[in-house]
Amino acid sequence: MAAGPDHLFNLRNNFYLGAYQTAINNSEIPNLSPEDAVERDCLVFRSYIALGSYQLVISEIDDAAATSLQAVKLLAMYLSSPANKESTISSLKEWLADSTIGNNAILRLIAGIIFMHEEDYNEALKHTHAGGTMDLHALNVQIFIKMNRSDYAEKQLRVMQQYDEDHTLTQLASAWFNLAVGGSKIQEAYLIFQDFSEKYPMTCLILNGKAVSCMQMGNFDEAETLLLEALNKDAKDPETLANLVVCSLHVGKSSSRYLSQLKLSHPGHVLVKRVSSAEDNFERAVQSIA
Amino acid sequence: MLTKFETKSNRVKGLSFHTKRPWILASLHSGVIQLWDYRMGTLIDRFDEHEGPVRGVHFHKSQPLFVSGGDDYKIKVWNYKTHKCNFTLLGHLDYIRTVQFHHEYPWIVSASDDQTIRIWNWQSRTCISVLTGHNHYVMCASFHPKDDLVVSASLDQTVRVWDIGALRKKTVSPADDLLRLSQMNADLFGGVDAIVKYVLEGHDRGVNWASFHPTLPLIVSGADDRQVKLWRMNETKAWEVDTLRGHMNNVSSVMFHAKQDIIVSNSEDKSIRVWDATKRTGLQTFRREHDRFWILAVHPEMNLLAAGHDSGMIVFKLERERPAFALSGDSLFYAKDRFLRYYEFSTQRDSQVIPIRRPGTASLNQSPRTLSYSPTENAVLICSDLDGGSYELYIIPKDSIGRSDFVQEAKRGTGGSAIFIARNRFAVLEKSTNQVLVKNLKNEVVKKGTLPIPTDAIFYAGTGNLLCRSEDKVVIFDLQQRLVLGDLQTPFVRYVVWSNDMESVALLSKHTIIIATKKLVHQCTLHETIRVKSGAWDDNGVFIYTTLNHIKYCLPNGDNGIIKTLDVPIYITKVTANIIFCLDRDGKNRIITIDATEYIFKLSLLRKKYDHVMSMIRNSQLCGQAMIAYLQQKGFPEVALHFVEDERIRFNLALESGNISVAVASATEINEKDQWYKLGVEALRQGNAGIVEFAYQKTKNFERLSFLYLITGNLDKLSKLMKIAEVKNNVMGQFHNALYLGDVKERVKILENAGHLPLAYITASVHGLHDVAERLASELGDNLPSLPQGKTPSLLMPPTPVMCGGDWPLLRVMKGIFEGGLENGATGAVDDEEDAEGVWGDELDMDVDGIQNGDVDDSLQDAEGADENDEEVGWDVDDLELPPELDTPKTSGNARSSVFVTPTPGMPVNQIWSQKSSLAAEQAAAGSFDTAMRLLHRQLGIKNFAPLRSMFLDLFTGSHSYLRAFSSSPVVSLAIERGWNESASPNVRGPPALVYDFSQLEEKLKAGYKATTTGKFTEALRVFLSILHTIPLVVVESRREVDEVKELIIIVKEYVLGLQMELKRREMKGDATRQQELAAYFTHCNLQTPHLRLALLSAMSVCYKAKNLATASNFARRLLETNPTVESQAKTARQVIQAAERNMTDETKLNYDFRNPFVICGATYVPIYRGQKDVSCPYCTARFVPGQEGNICTVCDLAVIGADASGLLCSPSQVR
Repeated sequence: MAAGPDHLFNLRNNFYLGAYQTAINNSEIPNLSPEDAVERDCLVFRSYIALGSYQLVISEIDDAAATSLQAVKLLAMYLSSPANKESTISSLKEWLADSTIGNNAILRLIAGIIFMHEEDYNEALKHTHAGGTMDLHALNVQIFIKMNRSDYAEKQLRVMQQYDEDHTLTQLASAWFNLAVGGSKIQEAYLIFQDFSEKYPMTCLILNGKAVSCMQMGNFDEAETLLLEALNKDAKDPETLANLVVCSLHVGKSSSRYLSQLKLSHPGHVLVKRVSSAEDNFERAVQSIA
Repeated sequence: MLTKFETKSNRVKGLSFHTKRPWILASLHSGVIQLWDYRMGTLIDRFDEHEGPVRGVHFHKSQPLFVSGGDDYKIKVWNYKTHKCNFTLLGHLDYIRTVQFHHEYPWIVSASDDQTIRIWNWQSRTCISVLTGHNHYVMCASFHPKDDLVVSASLDQTVRVWDIGALRKKTVSPADDLLRLSQMNADLFGGVDAIVKYVLEGHDRGVNWASFHPTLPLIVSGADDRQVKLWRMNETKAWEVDTLRGHMNNVSSVMFHAKQDIIVSNSEDKSIRVWDATKRTGLQTFRREHDRFWILAVHPEMNLLAAGHDSGMIVFKLERERPAFALSGDSLFYAKDRFLRYYEFSTQRDSQVIPIRRPGTASLNQSPRTLSYSPTENAVLICSDLDGGSYELYIIPKDSIGRSDFVQEAKRGTGGSAIFIARNRFAVLEKSTNQVLVKNLKNEVVKKGTLPIPTDAIFYAGTGNLLCRSEDKVVIFDLQQRLVLGDLQTPFVRYVVWSNDMESVALLSKHTIIIATKKLVHQCTLHETIRVKSGAWDDNGVFIYTTLNHIKYCLPNGDNGIIKTLDVPIYITKVTANIIFCLDRDGKNRIITIDATEYIFKLSLLRKKYDHVMSMIRNSQLCGQAMIAYLQQKGFPEVALHFVEDERIRFNLALESGNISVAVASATEINEKDQWYKLGVEALRQGNAGIVEFAYQKTKNFERLSFLYLITGNLDKLSKLMKIAEVKNNVMGQFHNALYLGDVKERVKILENAGHLPLAYITASVHGLHDVAERLASELGDNLPSLPQGKTPSLLMPPTPVMCGGDWPLLRVMKGIFEGGLENGATGAVDDEEDAEGVWGDELDMDVDGIQNGDVDDSLQDAEGADENDEEVGWDVDDLELPPELDTPKTSGNARSSVFVTPTPGMPVNQIWSQKSSLAAEQAAAGSFDTAMRLLHRQLGIKNFAPLRSMFLDLFTGSHSYLRAFSSSPVVSLAIERGWNESASPNVRGPPALVYDFSQLEEKLKAGYKATTTGKFTEALRVFLSILHTIPLVVVESRREVDEVKELIIIVKEYVLGLQMELKRREMKGDATRQQELAAYFTHCNLQTPHLRLALLSAMSVCYKAKNLATASNFARRLLETNPTVESQAKTARQVIQAAERNMTDETKLNYDFRNPFVICGATYVPIYRGQKDVSCPYCTARFVPGQEGNICTVCDLAVIGADASGLLCSPSQVR
């Protein structure tokens, strides 16, 4: 804290909390050091990716850009065309093997994200477990949660807390962790999101976080209110829609409209996949029982 | 010492506080007596009649009087209202040192250098007693606050206590002759009215001051031996208790504090000392540089002291009286005495929370100064000035509201101020390094940071932010970003009050209030002449604040005003609507109800909520000149119009708001020239020519009028005006008008008539009126004037106006916001009549059409006797899937992962669920559909799963929520658990949350009943079936609920069967017999009474129509047995019975014997009489003829008829 003001603080915060457009709009920050400028660009392009503007990212980043940006471009390519993901992954592996750039934190982060999408947690952790940046540690927490290994997630979280307990990512990661382990910890997750909502402008991410906490605590009515507020902010946010489907079921309302909306806008969403696999599962079970 | 007021003057020798008003008298060495208002800081009056120094002065307790005594040997009694000296008491033979009124009798006691003390009656203006005994100057004498005693101090080194009981008796009962006789004797022999009771010896030098304790038998004295002595007395004797040493020079004055257990003394050593009266130790010393102290005074009621010195006086108090408090939602935490207390605004409940450490009385002003509360942690931070600023952190235990005296070991630390800034975080100011320490609840430092400005206090400013105060500015500092979010130049800020939404902040200084936004953008500044004490925001964004003697408001634009006057200062804690919650100086919560109308009105105006303004005007609780002036000043004359009755003010307001029509009305009412004139000016400004004309006509202002006609081109009226001028013999006006009209002849005529013949001649000849000119020339004769040469004359003709007559385009007058929009049309209540459907009885042509759909008793009756299914279900889990075999993690050649081994993935929650549960619903939620189906098959014999498909999918879908974690990475799905409570331990998986629960089914049942009542059978059947389809997948907690579920199955089954039959009956129009049978069977389903009545009614009418009178009369009888509440039903039934009695036969034979108990086959709808063989559905318990065995149950559409089943398992309590 003895250091000077952190110029990228707001940008980073906005990005982490899902205020992507705000992050992009407020990215013009004067007097940045070259490293900060690269980080700034990474955040901006990752925000574009989060908004789904893959092509913009691919065309904006040229071959002369820094390694970190190239990695971001790789992520955009991976997400934009699932058909060509094989080639993307192979070039990713190639870069990772290159000892000169293989250690780049952003590259490793992107590798973690891509391998997570591939559900190859082993490969993902190979590159991310060493940590080094808050982003990498947070990603590790998430990977471990995905693997249902909350013990490992907790260790990662401790590392983050030691480094900076009040960092937005640390707080977010604690919330993820708390939600994953459940029980009394859910209240803490709720309070973390509550803190965010008091401190920063509301985003879908924060509202969803609160809503999920509410649902976990069995408070579906409040969750519904929060989710509808989120839907007001972004009518196409996949998580809002997915959670609304779940929440509506619990409050005894029809969920079909949200589900078809989600199917239309995000056919690849986990919920959609789960539902269709469940349908098959049901038919199979009926067959087996007959 | 907290100095409240200070004066600069000549040496102050005497002081006296007024009991009620904020006044103090100071008598000066120069001979002047000053009367000060120490609250406003103003000199109210000065009394200058003594010659030489005035040493003693004293206010009367209740009368507007004060007494003074000076070196001129005179005692003067003054009336401060009349500013005059009422009279002078003469008698003393030397300087007078002190004077004092008695609290009850019309007496004054005076002490003088003539070695006597005298008691005077100020009503009879005589000396009633002379107390002799001292053999040196008497420096002071005063009455005891209750008893008949006087204490005096003298330079003869003694303090004397005098008993004046005899004097009191003499005055009080003068009628008592015996007494009077003895007293007369006494008077003769030199006065024994007052006798010396005790002589207190102990001081080594002359004693300057002695005074009584207000309640206890104690005396304190100060002397030139630099000592303060404490004396105690009883009925018989008095003795020295202790000596307080410390003063370095003569002690001038010493007193007991009125409220605290302390002694205050001052001295010529230029110091005031405060002593603990019980421990007899020095507490504090206040020094002045150059001024010797001469006199002390204590306020009789308030916590105030005053001291006079060489160059003026000071009014001060020793300790702050503001209780430390913190607000959180509906609750207030505050420190009182040695307890933290809690007050709930909504219930006004006040309770003690925890004891807090009481600072040792080692020095003053160590009580809690500020308090910060964290609602999430339920913890308080209490800051005080102890050890140069320190804080204590207390955690309030959950079951805190008790009377425990046990003082919690608080976590402590030093620091200028400490406040909570976030959950589990508080900030402590470290003044020496200008750093802020962020600590957690364990009191461990988490972070350190340097503040952007030299800060002497920090305040809360939203989560993670600090408001730092320095001498002349405040900044908001973001601790995380290390950024200054805003700064503002302010006077020294004492208190910071945030609005409820944290959008605005009020910064309170001694005499200033600054309102700013959350980024410290300045909004407005208010200056007060007296001290600002406290404030709070109301729900509308109005800041309500208190000064020493007022409650005031401040609107967002800076307008302020007084709401109420105060007797004593209060500290506002919260404002809701018109209720102010506050703490007083004794730490008591008080509620003050205020009239908020004025500021709400002004706020509404400001916010342009005119409808609100309008309604307030209509209900008019407010008016008065001040409000009108305010409205005028704020540019709302049209609003003010609504308040005013006085026509003149109304007229002025109307003009100001440009409301001509109102102005005209008012002007007509007043009918004065001035008003008409003003009206004319305004109308002219607006271009309303008609009104201008009207106004000019009214004032008979012909010149203006003619000019108006000229410019409006109204030549007719102009010539008429010329005529009028002629009639009035107004030559000038006539000429004017002629000129305007361009009427040369007329002009010449006028000039001629007026005797201006040369002018008339020239005019006529220039304009070519030659005949007239010649006539005039002849009249003029020699005096013919010469005509101007070389110029071509032309007639000036007024230009024709573009628009003739009427009004000009009007100036846009601001349309009153209040015009229109005032009608509050009452919206007619929409009566939503339920449309009664006559489905039930429309086939009967008797008068049964008025069936009402009322009184359905929705509540399920507590039917006992649902057969208990007590079979324990032995359940083995061996057919569950085991988690798949996991790959052993492979180590990679990569350098980074050489030591790192990827952990094996853990077990997903739904697998845990699936392993743990033997309830079908939970298995479905976990996604193990086949297990769920197998369970249902085994328990309930269910084979047809198609109707359950959507339930399965919903259960599964509803079992997880989705959390977007890291940007662009896959979503995390989280298992939702049932029965969460806040003490659940993490990492232990509860059962899955299910989307169906029993209460939903009860709701559905009600809906089903309602649909049945209104005759929507298809709808009702759908609802009942859906209940039947949901029950297999419902989980309840208790055994009792299991029984309820089982009862529900039976109830619903009966309805489903009945409705299926009824619908079937309607389909087959042709077969009358079968129709009758089905209608009859329907009456044997177990229905709610209202439904049974309707079913009976329907069966009765069907049979009656088919001429089966005997059967119909049976239904009628049964109907009557239910005591129908609808009279028409009963009437019909009685008519049917009457009809049947005449002809007790049946036309057709029905397969229906109501005397023989039976159940109905769910598939074929035939009665199965008692004793006949049947099979039943293992789930819904519907009965069937044996031939149906092995088919899917037609009632529930799920289970196989006659299949083996272990019974419904729907609660974990059944498994345990």
